[in-house]
Amino acid sequence: MTTEACVIKGNRHGLLLSVMEGAPFVDVLAQLRAKLSAHREFFQGAVVRLQSGSTPLTDEQIQQLSAVVQEFGMTFDGTAVAPSQPVRPAETTTAHRREEPLDDTKLVRRSLRSGQSIHYSGNVVIMGDVNPGSEVVASGDILVLGALRGVAHAGAEGNAKAVVFAFRLEPTQLRIAHFISRAPDEKGPHPTGPELAQVVENLIQIKPYEKTQ
Amino acid sequence: MGKAIVITSGKGGVGKTTTSANIGTGLAQNKHKVVLVDADIGLRNLDVVLGLENRIVYDLVDVVEERCRLRQALIKDKRYDSMFLLPAAQTREKDSVSPEQMRQLVVNLKKEFDYVIVDCPAGIEQGFKNAIAGADMALIVTTPEVSAVRDADRIIGLLEASELYDPQLVVNRVRPDMVRRGDMMDIQDINDILAINLIGVIPDDESIIVSTNRGEPVVLDQKSRSGQAYRNIVRRLEGAEVPFMELEDKGVVHRLKALFGMGGKR
Repeated sequence: MTTEACVIKGNRHGLLLSVMEGAPFVDVLAQLRAKLSAHREFFQGAVVRLQSGSTPLTDEQIQQLSAVVQEFGMTFDGTAVAPSQPVRPAETTTAHRREEPLDDTKLVRRSLRSGQSIHYSGNVVIMGDVNPGSEVVASGDILVLGALRGVAHAGAEGNAKAVVFAFRLEPTQLRIAHFISRAPDEKGPHPTGPELAQVVENLIQIKPYEKTQ
Repeated sequence: MGKAIVITSGKGGVGKTTTSANIGTGLAQNKHKVVLVDADIGLRNLDVVLGLENRIVYDLVDVVEERCRLRQALIKDKRYDSMFLLPAAQTREKDSVSPEQMRQLVVNLKKEFDYVIVDCPAGIEQGFKNAIAGADMALIVTTPEVSAVRDADRIIGLLEASELYDPQLVVNRVRPDMVRRGDMMDIQDINDILAINLIGVIPDDESIIVSTNRGEPVVLDQKSRSGQAYRNIVRRLEGAEVPFMELEDKGVVHRLKALFGMGGKR
């Protein structure tokens, strides 16, 4: 996908759907469908608002977008939001996203026990443990100030630059964007200090955390 | 006003009913007025473990559906006059009772008894929700197995969601020899995950099976180590500071050393 026809961004109110200036509407629909089906579970239940570019959409087009969104179990809020900044074509947008970290961060001041989960559009910081059987899904980074033994999915909306950090990084499974890794079947040595997981050359790599990074 | 304690675990077969029977009997032994409530409707066991099966006329569902008065359904224990059992119905199902009805029942029992011990069924569905309704405190029973600890963790989360905080942990069926060989989780491993207060550690003990089958709680056996472990839990429930007993018999030399203050941790 070289040119992106639409972009989905999360903020504290829900999801914003931006339609690129001059993109053919057929492409917009197709890409929206592809993006939503790639992370079906993550998007479920969210509220979507439309942020149109300078080219206004017709009522019929809005109807069509709404239908796709509802098909994936989300609610469509018809009120279009004026763009806070001009929506730029794809390449610059992705580069821009890479540099600017997501601002929204959720602070969880407790441990997650088996069966509990946190889903958030933004970064998540857990002051406690993430126990086996629990999960954290974030569109940004995940920081666990404790032991991470459950499942963590950072960059869940596709941001492969997202990282996972924990004082004791021993997850059942680790996901960053569409990369997945799991704990080795054999019990290895326990980590001795804080560690950081990130995607390096299409693989999730775990390294001891150093401040200089 | 008494105190209602629910004994729960999530996983089945870890020793909830045995723990309920022993803690109840232990409290009665120490002259408290105790009622044991079997909340496992449809799969009742507590009556069998206490050896009271043949005395059941009315049960918990009869009380809730007002076919009898509460007092009529309470069965007095064989050994202690201050202990009663409210048996579960065997021919009914969990949804025969609602959490609200359970809460009211527990409130009524608390007026008369010092301790209301509720034996919770396995699982996290209706039976669990009923059993924790009205409880002031929860004892979580687990064994040193990953699956049992995982379920205990889930239960702690669910209890928090129901605003039942500060549960106490009972680790059952610990085998010191296996722990020493590294083949069994030790207390520290369990605490790493659950991070709740430990109130008792029960060693694995064949005499529990014998006593359960006979309908005589092991807490009555002064020589049994598991009985001693249950008596310690009872004292801790009463508010006493009781050190955790050494699970492994380390032999004469070690004991002599300890006697002269030369060895050991304590």
